[in-house]
Amino acid sequence: MSFGGGFLHHPDLFPARRAGEPWGDRAVALDVAGGPYLLSGLAATQEEALRHRFGALCGPAEGGGTVSQVFRAPAGDFRPIDTRGWEYTLDLDPTPDALRVAGLHLMARLSWTPALAGALWTPETAGEEWTPVCENYLRLLTAYRLLELRGALLHSAGVTDGEAAWLLLGRSGAGKTTASRLCLAGGGTVLSDDLNAVLFADGGAARLRKLPFTGDLGERAGGPESVPLRAVLRLAQGTEEGLRPLSPAAALASLVAAAPFVNRDPFRREALLAVLERLARAVPAWEVTFAREGRLWAILRSISIPRADP
Amino acid sequence: MIAITPATVLRRRSDVRYRRIEGEAVVLRQSAAEVLVLNEVGASVLDLADGERSVGEWIDTLREEYEGDSATLARDVLAFASELAEAGLLEPVAARNEP
Repeated sequence: MSFGGGFLHHPDLFPARRAGEPWGDRAVALDVAGGPYLLSGLAATQEEALRHRFGALCGPAEGGGTVSQVFRAPAGDFRPIDTRGWEYTLDLDPTPDALRVAGLHLMARLSWTPALAGALWTPETAGEEWTPVCENYLRLLTAYRLLELRGALLHSAGVTDGEAAWLLLGRSGAGKTTASRLCLAGGGTVLSDDLNAVLFADGGAARLRKLPFTGDLGERAGGPESVPLRAVLRLAQGTEEGLRPLSPAAALASLVAAAPFVNRDPFRREALLAVLERLARAVPAWEVTFAREGRLWAILRSISIPRADP
Repeated sequence: MIAITPATVLRRRSDVRYRRIEGEAVVLRQSAAEVLVLNEVGASVLDLADGERSVGEWIDTLREEYEGDSATLARDVLAFASELAEAGLLEPVAARNEP
């Protein structure tokens, strides 16, 4: 199926530019990793819903940041979709200088002119419908913004003891939420059991940044902002608990598979590989086998700090 | 099934991207979601698949790099080339006449 056909009645009429009729004159700045992200053209109900959803992360839309405008789109442009038992994946159409996106009640465009900027067209203004539309857009935008900053958005669970963080990778069903619960029960803090940000500090050390994009667990507003990343772990469930070292290549493969959106973009794939190779070389990686009632948190905390090269 | 002989010339498909890291290779294809990890010989095969050199020439090159039984190496490389072609990572360019 050609781009957008699963979501839009007329994908050939997809907006050719970042233009349209704004929903209103409200604006919000979101203080999320890679941000701030400035959203303008909002209706009052959209702004209120974002403030309710993101709380203290919402600030006044002043100063610089990655700009997105929100525009009206007729509800009739979108196909009705029965979402029962349906796995939602945004439809992406990348080109060298832009990205078109189609999804449930949303069309979006990211473009590099040369700074990253975005536009979101949606028929939704009320909380329950608008918030997931906007959050899906923000997840995508964050992935591209972090890549621009030589970081990455990773589908993962991020857990911390406040001094170090561990990034847990695995396909859907691999046990990220189960592992997060075990860490929580052991005394750890779950940054997110869904999406986490990795950025490199000025000195080159990888740090895990909390994001408000959580699944069942995670602090949407509280918790530490950024923690040094001690290890990357590929999850495996089993009865024989323990750690097995992963080669940097195996770690890189797991990281690439866990990098949503951008790992489907051939025009940014080299940049993604470069970032994730740096991460795979900088942070030790292990496969951790854990049991549902096991001692995962203790295993993670047993991983020692790697000795710095002289 | 693609029959691979020493005369076969293969090249990496245009949508294949790979990165060598500590001997192994991480391979991505645009048209498929999976990410593959190849061992050192597999990584070398990808390097050699330039659309110019035949599989037989790869074997000669690899004989200089790797110790071990020459016949085993040739058999492994042919099998590897076949697997990578089946996986859609390599495609044949032209078949040269057998000497």
